[in-house]
Amino acid sequence: MNGISVDINHLKKGEVSMGTSIMAVTFKDGVILGADSRTTTGSYIANRVTDKLTQIHDTIYCCRSGSAADTQAVADMVKYYMQMYASQLPIDEKPTTSVVANIFQEVCYNNKDNLTAGIICAGYDDKVGGSVYSIPIGGSIHKQDYAIAGSGSGFIYGWCNENYKPNMEKDECVQFIKTALSEAMKWDGSSGGVVRMVILDKNGVERLIYYPHEIKV
Amino acid sequence: MNSTVASEYSSEIHTTPIEHRFNPYSDNGGTVLGIAGKDFAVLAGDTRQVEGYSINSRYEQKIFNVGDDIVMTANGFAADGSALIDRFRNQLKWYKFDHNNKKLSVASSARYIRHLLYSKRFFPYYVSTLIAGLDDEGKGCVYSFDPVGSYEREQCRAGGAAASLIMPFLDNQVNFKNQYQPGSDGTEKKPLRYLELDEVLELVKDAFSSATERHIQVGDGLEIFIVTKEGVRTEYYPLKRD
Amino acid sequence: MAGLSFDNFQRNKFLVSKGFGQPMATSTGTTIVGCKFNGGVIIAADTRATAGSIVADKNCEKLHRLSPKIWCAGAGTAADTEMVTQLIASNLELHSLSQRRQPRVITALTLLKQHLFKYQGHLGAYLIVAGNDPTGAHLMSVQAHGSTDIGEYQSLGSGSLAAMAVLETGWKPNMTKEEAMKLCADAIESGIWNDLGSGSNVDLCVMEVGKDAELHRNYLTPNVRSEKLKSYKFDRGTTAVLRSSIHDVLDVEETVITFGNDAMEVDA
Repeated sequence: MNGISVDINHLKKGEVSMGTSIMAVTFKDGVILGADSRTTTGSYIANRVTDKLTQIHDTIYCCRSGSAADTQAVADMVKYYMQMYASQLPIDEKPTTSVVANIFQEVCYNNKDNLTAGIICAGYDDKVGGSVYSIPIGGSIHKQDYAIAGSGSGFIYGWCNENYKPNMEKDECVQFIKTALSEAMKWDGSSGGVVRMVILDKNGVERLIYYPHEIKV
Repeated sequence: MNSTVASEYSSEIHTTPIEHRFNPYSDNGGTVLGIAGKDFAVLAGDTRQVEGYSINSRYEQKIFNVGDDIVMTANGFAADGSALIDRFRNQLKWYKFDHNNKKLSVASSARYIRHLLYSKRFFPYYVSTLIAGLDDEGKGCVYSFDPVGSYEREQCRAGGAAASLIMPFLDNQVNFKNQYQPGSDGTEKKPLRYLELDEVLELVKDAFSSATERHIQVGDGLEIFIVTKEGVRTEYYPLKRD
Repeated sequence: MAGLSFDNFQRNKFLVSKGFGQPMATSTGTTIVGCKFNGGVIIAADTRATAGSIVADKNCEKLHRLSPKIWCAGAGTAADTEMVTQLIASNLELHSLSQRRQPRVITALTLLKQHLFKYQGHLGAYLIVAGNDPTGAHLMSVQAHGSTDIGEYQSLGSGSLAAMAVLETGWKPNMTKEEAMKLCADAIESGIWNDLGSGSNVDLCVMEVGKDAELHRNYLTPNVRSEKLKSYKFDRGTTAVLRSSIHDVLDVEETVITFGNDAMEVDA
């Protein structure tokens, strides 16, 4: 048990969990988040088209893994905090990714005994461009160039480490995530379905979806 | 601390070992009932076999003509039920080989089944067993057994999942329990009488259609084995399938 | 005091240690489904309620009204689905009164998920929420722990696998109302026949955009009880009368008062 993978025994009986493959990668113009779309209750796929990429603010998103209930509750909280916070900001200013990530960290740490939530927070802001923060189960926070998490991530640590390049082009980065998640979904039984992506850059938000037949494995 | 799950969080550490022991038994539902008449006996059972909330089969035979005009059923854990019936059939076959094809009486069959059941006293057959046939005088008889071999001859008996629903109905309608002679002001019981075969069949069908209404493991079909001096015959009636 | 009472927690734990188990709550071992169509949304449910393996109610109602145009189907612990639904219906009404707006499905869903999350799965309510609001037709589901899902079609309960099998094969985009009604009814029927926890009839609720919600109570009744073969009328006097006592619970007194000049002249 290494904090990054999810201890399934910790979940209460019948709890909906996201045995997940999620990742977020910075590239030249911003950041891209990616996730599979499988939600399970035991061996049953409760939802095969889940959207695990959740908007927190205009160009700040998070990837959720662990308990679906816990991560939704935490994301709803942080989203609400950011609405209140943004309303206090000068009209031309927006919350930064680091603020959002640190709020996530605070919530996850303070409630660590009651939460099974592994979150990757990523976003684009005008101050620092694209950035990625990983907030694994204990409530620590790690700023990274890219982050992978969820039960499927264990299969792609090596591949990502070999193939990640700083300042990739957008298309190159999309291909990187697509390949990485395809592999994670192939080897991890708790991950699967479609690959969803969110591209965050100065132009705003762009969503991508790749169906199983478009993923060559 | 002798923990079995490595974790950094107290709530995730199990102090007792997590057991993953194989459970040799399961409950396959279904219900059976036997009624003895003056010169006949019936053994009836539904044909649904279940496991948990799923239906394994809508028609799985569980009452058998085991030979010598004896019908037998062992309801509960289906695998144990078949094993017990197979063992009895096999022994009956050898009995006939060894004793010049002699007919085995229902009473002797019952005594032998007791021994089959008791031989597994500490790893019992998880079944309620019923046999029916005609006794040495040609009267209908039903024998019922508990899982470890205690048995008795009875006029009627329900076994299995809906036994608790059917048995009180049978007490009242076959043995006239709690029924008094009108006008006697509760001093005179309604006199016992043998029921006719068609009366018994109506009771059986009503018992099963009612049990189907209120017990989720009962349904799909009703198979009735009827033993008379002419031999054994069966009847089948559909039951609700929900 | 608001919320749940834990007064008997200590006592019950003691009772369990002495071998007295917890009382069994009536569970709606259920099949419920929901499906969107071209201009609305439909939810449907079976009508069997069970307590263990005994059928507690053969024709119960699992379709609950949250507001006139937002309905939800409930699976899990019957008491929880009933109470949580009524609570959220009340709060939704108050909210819509104070905001002077029609209630929205997302509001109902948020109230439900926040309430259920607070109770950490101890309230066994699994709900499919659907309806119309000024933003259109919506279909969502909430699970006991407070997680929610959105989709074109949903199924929940012990018969959800049987129902989902039908939905996954039969669903197509842009269905008509009639097609969707058929699909939902077929999915529930699949649960009725193949899942022991589900049975009896199909209830169905159609919520079409711009129209009132229509509840089709007992839309299908494929499990009518067959006629009993025998009559079980007992002769009068079959049951012994051991003792009888008759109590007068009402005394009737009649007094006639005549009105007239003679009678009224009391003081002279």
